[in-house]
Amino acid sequence: MTFVQGLLAGVDELRHKAHLFKIRNPFIYESIKFLFFSFFIILFVARGLNGLNYRWQWYRMSDYIYEITENGISAGPLLSGLRLTLFVSAVSLILSVVIGFVSALFRLSESVTAVIVSRVYLEAVRNTPLLIQLFLIYFVVSPILGIGRMLSAILALSLFEGAYTSEIIRSGIISIEKGQWEAAHSIGLSRVQTYRRVILPQAFRQVLPMLASQAISLVKDSALVSTIAIYELTMHGQVAISESFLTFEIWFTVAAIYLIINSCLSLIIHIFERRMNKVSI
Amino acid sequence: MKEKIIGETIIEVDSVSKTFDRRIKALRDVSLKVKQKEVVVIIGPSGSGKSTLLRCLNGLEETERGSIIIDDTPLDEHHKNRLKIRTEVGMVFQNFNLFPHMTVRDNIRTGPRFVRKEAIDEVDIRTEDLLEKVGITDKIDSFPRQLSGGQQQRVAIARALAMNPLIMLFDEPTSALDPEMVGEVLEVMKTLAHEGMTMVVVTHEMGFAREVGDRIIFMDEGKIVEESSVEDFFENPEKERTKLFLSKILDNGGCE
Repeated sequence: MTFVQGLLAGVDELRHKAHLFKIRNPFIYESIKFLFFSFFIILFVARGLNGLNYRWQWYRMSDYIYEITENGISAGPLLSGLRLTLFVSAVSLILSVVIGFVSALFRLSESVTAVIVSRVYLEAVRNTPLLIQLFLIYFVVSPILGIGRMLSAILALSLFEGAYTSEIIRSGIISIEKGQWEAAHSIGLSRVQTYRRVILPQAFRQVLPMLASQAISLVKDSALVSTIAIYELTMHGQVAISESFLTFEIWFTVAAIYLIINSCLSLIIHIFERRMNKVSI
Repeated sequence: MKEKIIGETIIEVDSVSKTFDRRIKALRDVSLKVKQKEVVVIIGPSGSGKSTLLRCLNGLEETERGSIIIDDTPLDEHHKNRLKIRTEVGMVFQNFNLFPHMTVRDNIRTGPRFVRKEAIDEVDIRTEDLLEKVGITDKIDSFPRQLSGGQQQRVAIARALAMNPLIMLFDEPTSALDPEMVGEVLEVMKTLAHEGMTMVVVTHEMGFAREVGDRIIFMDEGKIVEESSVEDFFENPEKERTKLFLSKILDNGGCE
């Protein structure tokens, strides 16, 4: 008996024994599994944190989240940073989809120039680090164009994410079978009409999950614009740490905020996707 | 079946050649004329160029040499001419090629609405009439994937008819269907033929060819081998190649 066979036999036996325990209710069974794994993860993290000898001061965190002034409650540094993160991400997301869309159409067009332009853009952006692109745009391009740091940040992020979006959109378009183009051709639709009425609605549906994870990447990548002194969430986090030395409390809070934004984003896209599928079934 | 009066020449193919990948000769010097209201059936073994010839007629394939004239409009590089031909020639595909994200209604009215820019009320009335004609009125708001193959192909026929074409091309319309659904599609095609639609049909359905075909074209290796009336074709084929092909398909029960 080989090792693998032995292993499979062992697993089979275990399953047989598990059956003897008569845990028939899947809900209870799943709950036990969940608690079991949670226990080990918590144990593991707790041991790690204990080893740090760190004095936790969560009670001081509230100052960084909200501030109480004479006019009532206003956003603290982290929340005002969040506002900027949301702004930069939202604008860049829209721009990156536009750039990605145009670049994908260039790539699929019959014009050699357009193909070369989109190809060079794609390779240049995908194969260099975002941080360097950001510096290049902020220090070299922005004085020429006369744009501020905010626009530089948005431009760098949109161009970077646009390259990936372009590939996603292109893959969606080329996945549509030839017969769809032929059917559209045979009823007289023009190239633009074929894209608009036939190809893109189908392609979009296919690539929506990939566009969603791209949007989530964008929100996380927006942390990099703190390097050109844009006071978004990460930047405010760093500043707060240097004043208060609440290193772990603040980093954990910042991470939790990113987690919440992206979970909401996933949820919205998921709902959107379900609704679209409902329409077409 | 009432006698129909065959009219003027509407399709004129003159010594057309077509090569795939610079090597494979799909069409060699093919010439063909089709008159108004005529039903021409093209048969031949696979790879004989019959589908390619059909696809050239509405510009889905480019030709290398020769000319194609449809309803006095040459199929040349002029965009206007090409568009006119595309709207005047309807096509039905082997795999239906319905738009999966649209309802039956939208599949049918897309052409008239966005190409012909017709008013939506008019298009809607015509859509319902066409669905009645192909016998699927109750599925107007369904999506293609909810329909059987035969129903899908009938919707595809309605979609092509919605453009009020002068000519209908059928590219093996029943080859992808389960046997029990072939009949319903052929019925619709027969009705169309009896109404006087000009049709060019690539098919293996010999029963259909016999019943509604006016002329049969037998192709092999990119050439038209034999062209004759339906009776002559089945009763006394001239060429050896044709006899061989006929004996094969008729033995296999290809005849009805």
